[in-house]
Amino acid sequence: MADILSADYIVVGSGIIGSLVARKLALAGASVIILEAGPRVTRGELVARFRNSPRRSDWMSPYPPADWAPHPIYQPADNGYLIQAGPYPYPAEYIRQVGGTTWHWAAQAWRNLPNDFRIKSLYGVGVDWPIGYEDLEPFYQEAEEIMGVSGAPNTGSPRAKPFPMEPVAEPYAMRRLRERLASDFPVVANTTARNSRPYDGRPACVGNNSCQPICPVDAQYHGGLSADAAEAAGVQLIANANVYKLEHDESGKVTAALYYDPDKSSHRITGKTFVVAANGIESPRLLLLSTSDKFPKGLANNFDMVGRHLMDHPSTSLTFDADEDVWLGRGPQSPSSINTLRDGPFRSEHAPYRLDFTNISRVDGSTKSLIAAGVFGPELEKRLRHSAAREMNVKNVLEVLPNPDHRITLSSEKDAMGIPKPETHYSIEDYTRRGAERSQQDFRRIAELMGGTNLRFSKDGDFANNQHICGTLSMGSDPKISVCDEWGRTHDHENLYLAGTGVLPTSATCNSTENALAVALRAVTHMLAQQGATSAPPPRDADERVPS
Amino acid sequence: MRRPRRRASAPAWLALAISSLIGAAAPGPSYAADADTIARGKYLAIASDCTACHTLPGSKPMAGGLPIETPIGAIIATNITPSKTAGIGDYTLEQFSAALRKGIRRDGQMLYPAMPYTAYAKLSDEDVAALYAYFMNSVEPVDQKPVETKLPLPFNIRLSMAAWNLLFLDGKPFTPDASQSAEWNRGAYLVRGPAHCGACHTPRNLLMAEQASKELAGGDVGFWNAPNVTSDANSGIGGWSIDELVAYMRDGHAAAKAQAGGPMAEAVENSLRFLTDPDLRAIAIYLKSTPAIHDPADTRPAYMWGGPFDDLASIRGVPLPRDRDSWSGAQIYDAHCATCHQDKGQGSFDGKLPSLLHNTALGTTNTNNVVAVILQGLHRQPDVLMPAFADALSDKQVATLGAYLIENFGNPAAKVTVDQVKTIRAGAVATNSNLVLIAQAATVAVPLIVIALLLIWISRRRGRRQDASGS
Repeated sequence: MADILSADYIVVGSGIIGSLVARKLALAGASVIILEAGPRVTRGELVARFRNSPRRSDWMSPYPPADWAPHPIYQPADNGYLIQAGPYPYPAEYIRQVGGTTWHWAAQAWRNLPNDFRIKSLYGVGVDWPIGYEDLEPFYQEAEEIMGVSGAPNTGSPRAKPFPMEPVAEPYAMRRLRERLASDFPVVANTTARNSRPYDGRPACVGNNSCQPICPVDAQYHGGLSADAAEAAGVQLIANANVYKLEHDESGKVTAALYYDPDKSSHRITGKTFVVAANGIESPRLLLLSTSDKFPKGLANNFDMVGRHLMDHPSTSLTFDADEDVWLGRGPQSPSSINTLRDGPFRSEHAPYRLDFTNISRVDGSTKSLIAAGVFGPELEKRLRHSAAREMNVKNVLEVLPNPDHRITLSSEKDAMGIPKPETHYSIEDYTRRGAERSQQDFRRIAELMGGTNLRFSKDGDFANNQHICGTLSMGSDPKISVCDEWGRTHDHENLYLAGTGVLPTSATCNSTENALAVALRAVTHMLAQQGATSAPPPRDADERVPS
Repeated sequence: MRRPRRRASAPAWLALAISSLIGAAAPGPSYAADADTIARGKYLAIASDCTACHTLPGSKPMAGGLPIETPIGAIIATNITPSKTAGIGDYTLEQFSAALRKGIRRDGQMLYPAMPYTAYAKLSDEDVAALYAYFMNSVEPVDQKPVETKLPLPFNIRLSMAAWNLLFLDGKPFTPDASQSAEWNRGAYLVRGPAHCGACHTPRNLLMAEQASKELAGGDVGFWNAPNVTSDANSGIGGWSIDELVAYMRDGHAAAKAQAGGPMAEAVENSLRFLTDPDLRAIAIYLKSTPAIHDPADTRPAYMWGGPFDDLASIRGVPLPRDRDSWSGAQIYDAHCATCHQDKGQGSFDGKLPSLLHNTALGTTNTNNVVAVILQGLHRQPDVLMPAFADALSDKQVATLGAYLIENFGNPAAKVTVDQVKTIRAGAVATNSNLVLIAQAATVAVPLIVIALLLIWISRRRGRRQDASGS
């Protein structure tokens, strides 16, 4: 209880966004403290746990939740942390530990398309962003140079400077897709934060095909590296610090963050500016938890917008057997995709989508399903070999429109620390379902061009989730339908900023990390300007603070 | 602003004359040379690896500033750009030659033998002139002086090097051996002269001079071990083919033999990979002919140890110990090494991720290189990067892993200790306080030491004569 720590900036969350925001602030001369709910982990432990796990396809198995800062787990059984209010389940996965959820991703680092920022104006759906593509362009580049991103030259997102490196070598299966689909679809390298050559002290990809759950050599960028970089820049990172409340003064300025350590002792940290970067579910949860007489609905929530507009990228898919051996599993898990359906006038009618090809080895999944079907002996080997060599899969990555009824709220249930659990309210709207229907014809054509047989469409009405949690802290110019401005600054509190995928007001058709990172790196310029001279030592007494 | 290049052509001189008239930087001394000579000089500068010491990584070429750690303290490499104020811009060819081959600066002060002038003494007059032409014409002058070297007494008295030179500087240029092929002679010239292989690969005596009787028998570079590269089949490179030696020097890697790490990776990166194939072959031919120096501890060639092995049965289904220092070698290997070196240490099919079996690094009795590579990783242009594990593994873990690697893939007689890991992690070469103390005591007893040095000198001269008559 006795801790009296203070800094210019207090950042809640040590994931890729929180850590890189903290790093950039620290490099500008500010004092910065990161509070991270989860523990520190090392890559070695994660790799060892993954290799030792009997559930190799359960990508969360190397990431057991901390008792004092749980995250959702569904295998082997639901740990009941994320409460599902329905009507459609939203089984989000994320990781509460130093470095956050990008320890475990496929490193997709896509930029939005310019039109993604203006879908209300252009297509009469969703909302327009308060900023445009050109505002973000330099910050996309900054993010890409930090992460070591490569990609195909033309996927609709114009660049002022080249990617920092060439894409990783094209896996054979992807080459065959590119060649055989060329008449109808351009199959291109995904834009990913994965080294094709030594970069920033990290080696090139060696093709282990375990990007998820863990890149075993750090060829793939992740938030653990961001946290290391933040600490190297002078940021003080406090792990196992589960922030449960933000306090404010009479004027509505945030003054302190309260956190529990694993023994549930409470600590208080003060600062001049607060940045909540604790992911699209935990960030709104913290704002909703921070109630007071002045703000009975929680912070930044005067118009009841916190936690609303929950979005992700639902997917349906087709699995088929090609008429040639392609042997998925060599190289990265998600190397190639089709990007021609991400934009067009059709967006006024149905969701746009990316078409993404998996390159995940089929051995584990096929073995399990064959054994479950009672196949054994020589027949098992024969059929396993067939599946491993020929099975292919394509999925859509569908845009979801912002809907205030899709939201994160506080549950009446509490976690081990006695803090209300997060609760999701979610459904799949017709706009998205129509997009999924439209993509069926692409699926069929792709299978046809690959000589596909044994077509297995995902179950009608079943949408897989892609864990691209966004929208819950939407930025916008109108405080009545958004939580923060274009800089991530909350409409209601001048020294409270939000960073992370929750800030994105629409989901577009690409993974949310790079977009959120560019928005956050751009916001840092505003955070620094707001405090003026940042190299000055932080005041130790609230009375010394000069209102800005 | 980039300064004008110094060329002998009339228009350039005219331009320089004009620029000096209008008050721009004054040009340095001229040294007329044709493009071929300059190119030859550049090649020799690469073969001599001047940049290894004289270029601070990421800074202007040849501008100096790199501290070279020695047992008696750090020696700071000087600026050897043609800057008149900070470099060697005012050096004449003769002065350049004296510095290169005799260790004497333009101001008459003596260089420390961290500068391998004992090797460069073998350079031919023609090659020295070509090097001079290159430095004067093609290296960009940098007007910034690095900090001065400051060594403890008596080494701060540069004149003390005179006695050292008397003992250890054989100032004669290379003389070809008429009984050997032109290739052999070219190789001998490169090895003993510009490439100064012995600077690392020949052990040094108490006074830090290369021991002529143990030429190329293996030495220490900081905590790195530069192996024996004499023709001995077990202790040296006798079992390597010419092609393997060439591949190693060119690519930094020879399949089923070894890969270059640490200072050797730098030598490949900065120097050897740019040498012509005939020159690399000449070096290989010469090395294969050197007198074999054998260490009885080497019961088989270093690359002949190890076999495919895994210990997965001992770790699958077993929870990881909470205390990382209690992880087994197999657990550490599984988590940190198996991704690239594969489950049984066999490396990748194309050899780009090296096999740990039949690998010199694990077959030598000196295990410093294994420890150093685990801690620091292995970086080699253009595209080799093994990550460093200094932050990921504790001293105990490195020792456990080292023991696991040696036992299963290397020479089981070798050992890795926690103290060894601690020392190598600490990085800097420990000052050899004994040497400093001895030398300081010696300065007190100057008359005695002079007599002793004279005696050593006389006995060495005898020894050399005997060597000469015996060969």
